[in-house]
Amino acid sequence: MSFSGGWYPVALSNQLEPATSAGTRLFDREICIWRDSDGGVHAWEDRCPHRGMRLSFGFVRGDRIACLYHGWQYDMQGRCRFIPAHPQLDVPSTIRVATYPCIDRLGMVWMCSDLKMEMPLDLPIDRRDIAPVRSLYVDCAPIATMQALSARSECTVLAGGALISIHAGPQNMIAGFQPFGKGKTALHIVFLGSPEQYPGNARRSAAVWAEELRHDLEREPVPDTAPAGSYEAAPWRS
Amino acid sequence: MAKLTLYDYELDDQCYKVRLFLGALGCLYDKVAVDVHPGSEHRSARYLRLNPLGALPILTEADLTIYGAEAILTYLALKYDTARVWLPEKPETFGRIMQWLAFSGSILSAASIARAHALFEIEADETKVYRKARLAFRLMEDHMTKQQFDDTFWFIGNTATIVDIALFPNIALSRDFGVDHDEYPALRRWMAHVRGIPGFITMPGIPAYH
Repeated sequence: MSFSGGWYPVALSNQLEPATSAGTRLFDREICIWRDSDGGVHAWEDRCPHRGMRLSFGFVRGDRIACLYHGWQYDMQGRCRFIPAHPQLDVPSTIRVATYPCIDRLGMVWMCSDLKMEMPLDLPIDRRDIAPVRSLYVDCAPIATMQALSARSECTVLAGGALISIHAGPQNMIAGFQPFGKGKTALHIVFLGSPEQYPGNARRSAAVWAEELRHDLEREPVPDTAPAGSYEAAPWRS
Repeated sequence: MAKLTLYDYELDDQCYKVRLFLGALGCLYDKVAVDVHPGSEHRSARYLRLNPLGALPILTEADLTIYGAEAILTYLALKYDTARVWLPEKPETFGRIMQWLAFSGSILSAASIARAHALFEIEADETKVYRKARLAFRLMEDHMTKQQFDDTFWFIGNTATIVDIALFPNIALSRDFGVDHDEYPALRRWMAHVRGIPGFITMPGIPAYH
């Protein structure tokens, strides 16, 4: 058993503004996520084919992202369209970046961990009214984090492990589960409801709750069955 | 008016704090380039007379000599920002500004040490300073996460203060010592706003756009 290939959340939608890029990781693979000027989201391998620079360091202009090093520009399909040092060049179509399926859902940016997989994102919850709380980065292995969360009475694992339903007090929160890498997990926490329903002070309390959760998770001993840094033996994905 | 002189090292994050603020204030000043690396000129007798701690930045104006980024930011705000935007006098605001300036001068200085260690081979307990620097960034991220719920883009209140200037360079330059911005979405948004401050200037490692 292991984490299967599939869809995972990699950011909160509101933290990736139009015309910006950010770096992240999924199973320790470096990923560039970026949002074009029209609001579309993209998840790519985080490497410019030219010199291997991380594309997430680059900048978005309209429907293209450009590398910080030499300004090579890539279109939304990952194909290089312009090389500033050779402005007249008709760029060969073979110069392209590997792109992952990527979509906005439940107030989170989701990507498919498999480049070739064509399975649709199928979530047990589908809502448009979402009040984002925060992304929480925890220095705790994905397996150990999942086991610790599963053992908590206020948490219910959904969607094969990609979502955790949290009942902390009277409020219903959902956390997207991102197996970031060895020893690190990200939780993307939202309220199921409109920002009017969950105004600033409610989200502030939830953010404080999340800080305390992080504190607990980083303190909890790693169970023997889940060696730190291992992606193997994930019972919730059987 | 007596001339402002900044004793400066282009690659130094503390000096950049002062250059950034002078840019935001639109102050004209003379810049004296000090050969910190590899020359260690800041530890020479000439510079120890200006700052016995043997560190930059140092600012002089007429008979005044003042050193340390946070102290210089405070001095410049009181002297040249007559509207009191960058350093408001309201006790609650002022107190919190002092709190974050102390943060900048204490735990966050681990980030400066980690960077100097990575770039200039300055001796440091690598494990310790990296852990401390990451903790400082996490505390900043937690704070800015909560600021967003109050619909503010800045560390304190609804406008940029000297705290935003003092805290920006260390996280903006963290990739110099191998700490990515992946884990700091709230700081990424805040940094984009700092880049938009009129008079913003760049330095090696901090491009204008993002």
